[in-house]
Amino acid sequence: MNLNVDGENIYGADIPWLYALRKKARDAFVKNGLPTAKTEAWKYSYLPSGILDEFTIAAEPHHCDGHCHEKESLPFDCRQIKFCNGSLEHIAHDLPRGVMIMPLIEAVENAEIKPYLNKSFAVGEFPFADLNTALAEQGLFIVIGKETELQEPIYIHYHQHEGAPKLNNIRNVIVLEKGAKATIIEDFDAKEDAHYFNNIVNEIYVGTDAFLQHYTRQNEAAEARHVALNSVAVKAGGQYRDFVVHNECLYARSESYVCLKQENASAEINGAYRLQNSGHSDITSNIRHLAPHTFSDQLVKGVLDGKAHGVFQGQIHIAPNAQQTEGRQLHRALVLSDGAEVDCKPELEIFADDVKCSHGSTCGDLDAEQLFYMQSRGIALDDARQILIAAYLNEVFGKIEDVAVAEWLKSIF
Amino acid sequence: MTQKLLEIKDLYAGVAESGKEIIKGLNLTINAGETHAVMGPNGAGKSTLSYVLTGKPDYVVTGGSMRFAEHDLTALKPEERAALGIFLSMQAPVEIPGVTTQNFLKHAINAQRKYNNLPELDAAEFLKLLRSAAKNFDISSEMLKREINVGFSGGEKKRLEILQLSLLQPKLAILDEADSGLDIDALKIVSQGVNQWHTKENSLLIITHHLDLLRQIKPDFVHIYADGKIIKTGDMALAEELETSGYKNYLDAAK
Ligand SMILES: Nc1ncnc2c1ncn2[C@@H]1O[C@H](COP(=O)(O)OP(=O)(O)OP(=O)(O)O)[C@@H](O)[C@H]1O
Ligand SMILES: [Mg+2]
Repeated sequence: MNLNVDGENIYGADIPWLYALRKKARDAFVKNGLPTAKTEAWKYSYLPSGILDEFTIAAEPHHCDGHCHEKESLPFDCRQIKFCNGSLEHIAHDLPRGVMIMPLIEAVENAEIKPYLNKSFAVGEFPFADLNTALAEQGLFIVIGKETELQEPIYIHYHQHEGAPKLNNIRNVIVLEKGAKATIIEDFDAKEDAHYFNNIVNEIYVGTDAFLQHYTRQNEAAEARHVALNSVAVKAGGQYRDFVVHNECLYARSESYVCLKQENASAEINGAYRLQNSGHSDITSNIRHLAPHTFSDQLVKGVLDGKAHGVFQGQIHIAPNAQQTEGRQLHRALVLSDGAEVDCKPELEIFADDVKCSHGSTCGDLDAEQLFYMQSRGIALDDARQILIAAYLNEVFGKIEDVAVAEWLKSIF
Repeated sequence: MTQKLLEIKDLYAGVAESGKEIIKGLNLTINAGETHAVMGPNGAGKSTLSYVLTGKPDYVVTGGSMRFAEHDLTALKPEERAALGIFLSMQAPVEIPGVTTQNFLKHAINAQRKYNNLPELDAAEFLKLLRSAAKNFDISSEMLKREINVGFSGGEKKRLEILQLSLLQPKLAILDEADSGLDIDALKIVSQGVNQWHTKENSLLIITHHLDLLRQIKPDFVHIYADGKIIKTGDMALAEELETSGYKNYLDAAK
């Protein structure tokens, strides 16, 4: 893996502030290395030390006969953006007033992105994000202006097809100014046998009284690796709502780092995963209540079969001044086989006294009494199991207000 | 000519996990159209009999035979027994969070239709059928939209069981304490529902501790069931006698 950010081939080497940031991130990554079994936040999900050697970061021209520019037919209206093999191929045009979407490389050119790039988390905290900062050339800068309500969701499709094994470092910066409202849907998929590593970092700034609804549908290829960080800063009265769905792939980790920075900021982080074979899915969150009257709520449900491995790590941090704060968190998993495994690590870190916090994690199998009740009415055992699994997951999908989106997210299971 | 529907011969069965024996040499034949009542002390094994007949995996048959219409029941899965026409109204109907009553019933009806090579009902056909049946059992459409049995009162659960009986139209209905927890009106609704379904071809096995339901449904036979087998068979007069003098005489005699 070429980590040489001094070279001419990395974009922005000639932009001093960017060069300095890249170098700092590169140095941190080189110094810390990849997380290992001893890295607390990664102990259930560390990757083999030589993993990155398998991949190249060089963009290669691909020939997809214009498929990159074809619109997806989706069960909801949206503005579509597409990355193909890690490169931005199609960007939404004709945007309503107050909405700006531009490629990352343009945004660094005139420094508009500077106040936001790597400002939501510190260099050295997230190893894959440092790698991303050092190397990312592809990505988006999205700004929803003051009091602007974007009706149609922004749909970002990341598709991988044939080609040499590729590490895609994609960096998106999403800014909602005061009172802005938007929905962003990220969709990851691939040609069946594609071999790649997606390393995605979203920095999300939810302004005062702004509202962002964020969905992520991870439907990567079976052999794919997927590491994503959503680093979110929410101002007074702002709301961040997130829902992530993991289908099975070799390795997937979605991490949310959410700072509720001012009063009445809130976050709802839900998710679901379904693993059938030997895949690995990690949903990790760190919700930081940094001001009084902040709220967070999280429900993640998983269904595991075969020899799959699920990981849930949830940290709620409540700062000393963050009184009258509420943080709730629950993870539940259905473990359908003896070979499947779930590791859970809930952590509460509370430094204020007037707070309401709860967290929990449960693992169980399908209920034998329920299965027999259904069978005794003529429903075949296998169908009964599927009905109960769907019912189990419906609890969390039911939290999505937009029924069309909920159905679409579910459809990959 | 009488036609045998269910024939249980010298049946032995117990708990699969522990091997504990519960049914110990039970004989019972039910012909088409007949109504049999089974009465007996708590813990005698009445509910276990209903589960063994319907194939609950917690129990194993260790001896004897059970035949239903030309089929050896022990070789069939629970869902196959149901599709052949055995229905069990459970003593404690099971709650299933996340599955609406309506959806559950649609799955059940269509699964049985499919098994019997009948076309599945579409949404409209099903709803029509369901609505008219629900009215007979005083079950509101609000209740049908709720998760099945979740938060239902004891009486509501029992009415819903009988609604299922009327929708699924089995050949043999086993009612395990279908009368427990019912108020006077609900008892009438349940017994009317059962009588409506009950024809010359359909048979009933009623497990109960009370006479109220039996007075409405009028069993042909009343059996005393104790320690895993039937120790005495009579008619309604036997049930009336039990109500005043209890099981003591019969239990002592059986020892
Ligand atoms: N799965 C099981 N595991 C262990 N013991 C069981 C199991 N099922 C039933 N039993 C025992 O077998 C005996 C018979 O139980 P069963 O429920 O069949 O009785 P019953 O005649 O229906 O009683 P009641 O009138 O109280 O409903 C009881 O002692 C019960 O505890
Ligand atoms: Mg019983």
